[in-house]
Amino acid sequence: MNWFIDTISTSIGKKLLMAVTGLGFCMFLLIHMIGNLTLYGGKDLFMAYVEHLHALSPLILAAEIGLVFFACVHVATGLILFLENRRARPVGYAVKKNAGGRTFGSATMPYTGFIILCFLILHLINFRFIEQTPDAIFQAVSGTLSDVSFKIIYIAAVFVVALHVRHGFWSLFQTLGANHLKYMPMIQAIGIAFALLALAGFGLIPIVIGFIA
Amino acid sequence: MSAKRINLTLKVWRQSAGEIIGSLKTYSASDISTDMSFLEMLDVVNENLIKNGEDPIAFDHDCREGICGMCGSVVNGRAHGHESNTTLCQLHMRHFSDGDTIVIEPWRAKPFKVIKDLVVDRSALDELIQAGGFISVNAGGAPDANAIPIARETAEAAFNAAACIGCGACIAACPNASAMLFVGAKVSHLSLLPQGKPEAKKRARQMVRKMKELGFGNCSNEAECEAECPKGISIREIARLNREFIKAEFS
Amino acid sequence: MTLDAKIPGGPLAQKWDRHRFELKLVNPANKKKFDIIVVGTGLAGASAAATLAELGYNVKNFCIQDSPRRAHSIAAQGGINAAKNYSNDGDSVWRLFYDTVKGGDFRAREANVYRLAQLSCNIIDHCVAQGIPFARDYGGLLDNRSFGGAQVSRTFYARGQTGQQLLLGAYSSLMRQAASGRVKIFPRRELMDLVVINGQARGIVVRNLINGQLESHDAHAVVLATGGYGNVFCLSTNAMSSNASAIFRAYQKGACLANPCFTQIHPTCIPVHGTYQSKLTLMSESLRNDGRVWVPKQPGDKRSADSIPEEQRDYYLEKKYPSFGNLVPRDVASRNAKEQCDLGKGVGETGLAVYLDFTDAIKRDGRDVVSSKYGNLFDMYEKITGDNPYETPMMIYPAVHYTMGGLWVDYNLMSTIDGLFVLGEANFSDHGANRLGASALMQGLADGYFIIPYTIGGYLAGTRFPAVDAGHEEFKNCEASVHQKTARLLKIKGKRTASDFHRELGLIMWDYCGMSRNETGLSKALGMIRKLKQEYWENVNIPGTGDEFNQSLERAGRVADFFEFGELMIVDALHRKESCGCHFNTAYQTEENEAKRDDENFAYVAAWEYAGSGSDPILHKEPLIFENVKLSQRSYK
Ligand SMILES: Cc1cc2nc3c(=O)[nH]c(=O)nc-3n(C[C@H](O)[C@H](O)[C@H](O)COP(=O)(O)OP(=O)(O)OC[C@H]3O[C@@H](n4cnc5c(N)ncnc54)[C@H](O)[C@@H]3O)c2cc1C
Ligand code: HEM
Ligand code: SF4
Ligand code: FES
Repeated sequence: MNWFIDTISTSIGKKLLMAVTGLGFCMFLLIHMIGNLTLYGGKDLFMAYVEHLHALSPLILAAEIGLVFFACVHVATGLILFLENRRARPVGYAVKKNAGGRTFGSATMPYTGFIILCFLILHLINFRFIEQTPDAIFQAVSGTLSDVSFKIIYIAAVFVVALHVRHGFWSLFQTLGANHLKYMPMIQAIGIAFALLALAGFGLIPIVIGFIA
Repeated sequence: MSAKRINLTLKVWRQSAGEIIGSLKTYSASDISTDMSFLEMLDVVNENLIKNGEDPIAFDHDCREGICGMCGSVVNGRAHGHESNTTLCQLHMRHFSDGDTIVIEPWRAKPFKVIKDLVVDRSALDELIQAGGFISVNAGGAPDANAIPIARETAEAAFNAAACIGCGACIAACPNASAMLFVGAKVSHLSLLPQGKPEAKKRARQMVRKMKELGFGNCSNEAECEAECPKGISIREIARLNREFIKAEFS
Repeated sequence: MTLDAKIPGGPLAQKWDRHRFELKLVNPANKKKFDIIVVGTGLAGASAAATLAELGYNVKNFCIQDSPRRAHSIAAQGGINAAKNYSNDGDSVWRLFYDTVKGGDFRAREANVYRLAQLSCNIIDHCVAQGIPFARDYGGLLDNRSFGGAQVSRTFYARGQTGQQLLLGAYSSLMRQAASGRVKIFPRRELMDLVVINGQARGIVVRNLINGQLESHDAHAVVLATGGYGNVFCLSTNAMSSNASAIFRAYQKGACLANPCFTQIHPTCIPVHGTYQSKLTLMSESLRNDGRVWVPKQPGDKRSADSIPEEQRDYYLEKKYPSFGNLVPRDVASRNAKEQCDLGKGVGETGLAVYLDFTDAIKRDGRDVVSSKYGNLFDMYEKITGDNPYETPMMIYPAVHYTMGGLWVDYNLMSTIDGLFVLGEANFSDHGANRLGASALMQGLADGYFIIPYTIGGYLAGTRFPAVDAGHEEFKNCEASVHQKTARLLKIKGKRTASDFHRELGLIMWDYCGMSRNETGLSKALGMIRKLKQEYWENVNIPGTGDEFNQSLERAGRVADFFEFGELMIVDALHRKESCGCHFNTAYQTEENEAKRDDENFAYVAAWEYAGSGSDPILHKEPLIFENVKLSQRSYK
């Protein structure tokens, strides 16, 4: 195990942790979104989905523990990287311009990440740490999201997630060493598509929820 | 193209020695021919400073043809200035306009201590190479040069990485002061060639560890390095470094 | 002093083997007891330092730049020769040897050149093993190109950056030894003096360029690989820090300087554009394969190139040399360009340029073909000049490029000071009066990887060394005299900058000791230089102090030595009453305007001994004996 600690404490090692956990999140995000799409099918479909999930509860518990663990790793490593990177340039530039590589998404990763973390906590308080019956959950979702300020918070958060993923998706492939002249444009495109999909998939929920309920 | 004459205002980082606090000072550069290179423009400013009994601006340079990697400053927020694939010595004044204000600052990174004005200590780059950027072969022991054929594409790919001039612009431009492009270029160059394969694992492991020890930041895949590298080194070399590192650590 | 070249006996082809056998060896266990100083990290210095450390010696390696990887060798473009005969076109060690001796216009030592040709093959093997990405053909084997002065294809290359790749190879070996602790690297150091004790080179005094402090380093032997002195001319293709100071210090300490007037001028460089120009950039010679050189027929014709009709253009090379045309050798092409400009037919703002026109090539082969051959050169030209060579003809002019002269060395590469070895462009050894393309890289690496490791062992094993360290009185004396000189320079606080003087010196050298020379001009130049030198010591203005990072002081010290060196070059040029290779004295030319040698009286190496400041140097002659090649006259009509 010593070697593993040694490996992940290197610069690339930490990046690998970010990439693997980030990939895990992306996959979770996708599944979560597919599940949530049931909302667009109306209350019944959504309730059936929740019921279904509960039937799988041991698996879900395992997945939840995994996600919490991943979250801890992703957040802690992200924080370490952020601090290390700041320390690597003690004196900054008076004038610094982008040369064309940086995007808004890439430049804001630590900040969007932090916002996502705050949102996640709120999100869990809203929908996870409540009574876990399908009915209660549906009430919570439709109730919370009918509040205008929550609507705005949720839509904004989805924007932030999309931004994070827009850079994060291709970046994780680069970190894992998968950058090839032939395939990278495709990965980049998928990343953007994925971000937009997440934006649409999650972002429309607070808007359409009123009609569904 | 016939030369024009332009007048400029320079704001230059002045720091008389490493331990002394520096600041931006303003100078005027008048009657500059647009045929001059950026460094020749600084030469002219310096000649005038000397004549006026002032301390000339210290800056590193040597070949003045874009190959030694000695020159380099951040000009208006861009490493080696705003022209792509260009070292500072090859940046010409025709890319500036009359009346421009130009801010000139040294490379900034923790391992790059300022020596004077725009001159920084880049010995960390040598230390990175010492950590494994070589093939262990003693003079005298080599087989015939054509004993191992190497596919032309492979040799070309190795060359693309080997073209790095060690200027440090990638580090200066990187928001995190990371040396991944520099190390990626060396690791790629050597690991692509059959001669470099025997030591590939050791090289990747040691060079990556050395980066941290020297205080460079971590890559966050922002690709600013690639955009500023005067030799057009691609971040694919960083991906290859990541690959080499994964292979080395997990096998 | 008698010059003993120590050329081994026996047939030419066996001299080196035999010599290696006869050289004394240092017991492997004893190698670590010897300290060796190597000054310079170019191809010659880096390869020597790395290889000596591989053998087990303790090496200290110095350079001016902030990293050994930036030595001027990095700028070499074209390639490196080797007699591999991979092209199967009839090359051999003998042919490479012969081409080099002939190219040098029969002013080089046969035995050295033959050894160089022999070792050329080992260099390529070693460099490939180091991971140098040489160009390859589709089968994966090494590719070759042709270069001037040879009818075979024997030049190995790595795009247009051969010097860079070779140097990075040597540098990587050096870094490996630095990591192992056997080499200690001292960057940002400038050699200020050579320390000679009991007739042996025992150390150096350097200035730490970061804080100005002097440092003394002792050793059992000193290796100088400090490159060429082309910057005497101020404008050259050399790097800004290239200097004559290191070899001049050695000269002042008793090492003879050989053939200082042999300077090569490269015909295809980007012309000077203004007074503040700091350097000249080489454009590969290969451009002359497709470009046509011309000037307007009418002197003073200031029309733009496209408005000068065909019949008013003078394609002077094609006219004068019908069979070689635009492809005459470097020295001939350079001299003719100067001649045209002297006639007032030069083009461009300064009138010091000739056209190199690709219009016909583009018409004939199409823009794509031309671009695939020369695209990167065209881009570089456009970057520097702002002109597009696809549309307007390039302007080119000759520029100082390489210095064949240097410190005199024997077959062991040892100078006339015991224990002082000289490698690379800093010595005079292999190129005679003219160097062929792609052979400087070969020489530097042969010297460093394959010659010095043996010959220095022979010296160390066969010499008794009195105990000496950096505390020795002589080190103190040297430091004191360096201090004194620096203080003297700093005290002047005159009106002109060192660069200003350097430009003026360069112009004098260029006008009178450049592509062609004559006695009147040379004598005049000697007077001018002496006068300017005097003014220098009274009127130079060097800001700052000696105990800080002070680039003006660095430059001023080098310029001071360029004056002395320039004088010596002119003395040498004046004494050689013949023309040979790059030394073209207009009084000695054939009817075809080629250099006319006088083998009867001048088939020797002129080695100058320092006789103190203000005294004329003493000439020593090393006769050149040609047992294996027949001396002949070059002709390119
Ligand atoms: C533009 C250009 C293109 C060329 N192309 C080719 C080519 O294609 N093929 C070819 O064969 N040759 C070519 N040459 C020639 C060749 O590059 C040089 O002759 C050769 O590289 C010289 O190597 P060197 O090791 O002797 O010296 P350099 O590479 O000049 O190294 C000198 C070293 O000495 C150090 N030094 C110098 N003075 C001092 C001092 N006072 N104190 C401390 N250190 C000092 C420097 O820091 C440096 O490390 C070219 C030359 C130029 C200018
Ligand atoms: C839905 C939730 C999240 C997803 C899908 C996600 C995804 C990703 C991905 C794919 C990466 C790229 C990894 C790489 O470059 O190799 C990444 C990087 C990053 N993440 Fe997240 N992340 C999420 C939440 C968070 C949170 C909560 C934080 C922190 C508080 C965070 C902070 C960061 C940081 C700082 C990086 C950049 C690391 C670097 O490149 O140096 N992320 N994320
Ligand atoms: S990778 Fe590019 S920017 Fe970085 S040191 Fe090398 S040449 Fe300079
Ligand atoms: S001075 Fe050599 S690269 Fe700019």
